[in-house]
Amino acid sequence: MKKECIAMLLAGGQGSRLYVLTRNVAKPAVPYGGKYRIIDFPLSNCTNAGIDTVGVLTQYKPLELNSYIGSGQPWDLDRANGGVHILPPYMVEGEKGSWYKGTANAIYQNMGFVDLYDPEYVVILSGDHIYKMNYMKMVAAHKAAGAACTISVIEVPWTEASRFGIMSVDEENNIVAFEEKPKEPKSNLASMGIYVFTWKKLRQYLIDDEADPKSSNDFGKNIIPTMLAAGEKMLAYRFEGYWKDVGTLESLWDANMDMLSRSDLDLLDDSWPVYARIPNQPPAFLGKNARVEHSVVTQGCDVEGSVFNSVLSDSVVVEEGARVSYSVLMPGAVVERGATVEYAILGEGVRVGAGARVGASPMDYDPDRWGIAVLGPSTVIAAGEVVAPKTMLDSNHEEVSR
Amino acid sequence: MNGLHGVIFAYGKHVGLRELSENRTPASVPFGGRYRMIDFVLSNMVNAGVRDVGVIIHGNYQSLLDHVGTGKEWDLSRMHGGLRLLPPFAMVRERGSGTFRGKMEALSSVQSYLERIRQDHVVLADSDTIINLPLQQVYADHLSSGADITAVCAAKGQGDLEGATSFVLGEGGWVQDTLYNAKDCAGLRSLDIFILSRDLLLELVEECRRKDHYSFRNAVLQNMSGRLKIRGYVWEGYAAQIRTLSEYYDRSMELLNPAIRRALFPADRPIYTKEMNLSTTYLDPDGACVNSLVADGCTVEGTVENSILFRGVSVAKGAVVKNCILMQNTSVGKGASLSNVIADKNVQITDGCTLVGNERYPIAIAKNAKI
Repeated sequence: MKKECIAMLLAGGQGSRLYVLTRNVAKPAVPYGGKYRIIDFPLSNCTNAGIDTVGVLTQYKPLELNSYIGSGQPWDLDRANGGVHILPPYMVEGEKGSWYKGTANAIYQNMGFVDLYDPEYVVILSGDHIYKMNYMKMVAAHKAAGAACTISVIEVPWTEASRFGIMSVDEENNIVAFEEKPKEPKSNLASMGIYVFTWKKLRQYLIDDEADPKSSNDFGKNIIPTMLAAGEKMLAYRFEGYWKDVGTLESLWDANMDMLSRSDLDLLDDSWPVYARIPNQPPAFLGKNARVEHSVVTQGCDVEGSVFNSVLSDSVVVEEGARVSYSVLMPGAVVERGATVEYAILGEGVRVGAGARVGASPMDYDPDRWGIAVLGPSTVIAAGEVVAPKTMLDSNHEEVSR
Repeated sequence: MNGLHGVIFAYGKHVGLRELSENRTPASVPFGGRYRMIDFVLSNMVNAGVRDVGVIIHGNYQSLLDHVGTGKEWDLSRMHGGLRLLPPFAMVRERGSGTFRGKMEALSSVQSYLERIRQDHVVLADSDTIINLPLQQVYADHLSSGADITAVCAAKGQGDLEGATSFVLGEGGWVQDTLYNAKDCAGLRSLDIFILSRDLLLELVEECRRKDHYSFRNAVLQNMSGRLKIRGYVWEGYAAQIRTLSEYYDRSMELLNPAIRRALFPADRPIYTKEMNLSTTYLDPDGACVNSLVADGCTVEGTVENSILFRGVSVAKGAVVKNCILMQNTSVGKGASLSNVIADKNVQITDGCTLVGNERYPIAIAKNAKI
């Protein structure tokens, strides 16, 4: 069945810089903002933009992600024609079949899937960012310019430009140069890792790239530079608005703090809803002595203690006398009586025992030794135990270094 | 034995619910911050493995249709069976346009549906009971007792008998007498949930239809007590039937009690409802929110105490909300002050407005009103 445009979402990466949080789940399945997972953003963007066919390429620890996506119903992607499809690597007759070697190889291996829909355009997405974006506007710009490839870019501060893939453009936003993490950036337009390709073009480049044994089969490292060198029309699509990488513990924490302000990222806007698969829980309960300030709560929360500047996910419990500040509590985390949690990320199902202390404010601490404290899913902290800032513990209570 | 089929009566109208039931059946009256009343019995059925449910409706059902949709939230959107909404397609009565006179008449109006039920047993339930009943236990009890009809009733001392059906139980739990509005009797309040075999149900519907008997209580429970073995199943847990505004208010406020919430929302028997996909709820440093249930998508910048906020409610700076129930998308303006108020959906309370109800007589504000 022909579709004008389909999306391919690269969700197979481990997200190793999230350490204990991605030990058992792929990065796109990491919880965010109290009731979301990272993948809700690209999936909701697709459905809101009118893209009803999405291939999700999975590889690393996909079980939780697969069951979260399910039939795609929460994102209105359970379609008779199209819809969301999980695409793991698979065996090929005669040959061995292989893991996805790189982002480009992942699409190469699924050319058969894309061809089923015979699309004019393919949108390539990743599950690494928090943002709201209408991909079809980008496709329209791509179409109007007659480009082979359009890359969405965002202006970043010059001081940070060397952390990104940087595009230099002419006055019509045609890309003239691309540099991956340049030491001396010539522009401050960073690639957001969102590409629109004319499928016929990309298809050929993928085949050629696969035939090159020296290629690492990656969009940023191989496909984009090759297309640029071949003189293809490459367009930069300027995006303005909130866009945040959540690939590191600090940026994940930052992005959670950002959603508290509601001004940067408006998740209440009903013209662009962000959908999520939501567990059935009664409304949040705030007890007689609860004090909750500049924080978000959601269904299933039970708060009797104090919560400041924090993000609480479903089924989080903060008992009486406990104090939580500047922290992100993922689903089912429990902070028992009198415990203190400051500047921390608590993974799903973490239990902080009575009177324990996790993390500390940077104000009271040597800046070199300070950092966000992170407890991996299901970690249990004993009553009265102290977990120093910047410490990271896994579910066996073993310290993991960054 | 091949399972239970559910039939829910969702056609009633309780005048006592006043504004709340003006444009909807009691089945779809919002309750508990994010639910509708029908969610409870419907979820009880689904949690007990019931996979086919018929909901009998008659007029005023726009809001209910919108809420249950295809039944997917209850996992009842199925290729075969699943949820069926049953308007009176086989209504034989010719008088007026009023609703059904009783359950037997309602059942007879969907007789052809009942004939196609593929399970051997049927559970009949009203849609306005707030309960989390392990129905599979009632079903097992029904099968082992050899009763013709099992009637679920509240434990002694629970529930007022005024305006309710009550059962006087004898030895072994067999029903000796069925009474109505018998305030001072020693009976137990009926929770209006019954299990009987499909064959018996069809037989009773046919018999009542021929005789123009419409009341289940009168024609079956009372008049046939000699020939049917009717047994009471006493439910010791929480149950509330909501038929008046003050019952609605009191029962809602009870949810602030943790023990009652635990009884109604155990982890292994969730109550399902239509999802709205709103974001989290934000609590501003200028506000304070205590002893309250708050659903998703709310913004609280004012003071909220002993209240229930449904999804999408906003309370602006300086506003004070005490002992209130504010339904979906209601907004309270700056400096407004509300106590003992039930505001239906999309109510707008303008800046500085003061409304004071009484604990015994809360103020109810109709849907979409601007005050």
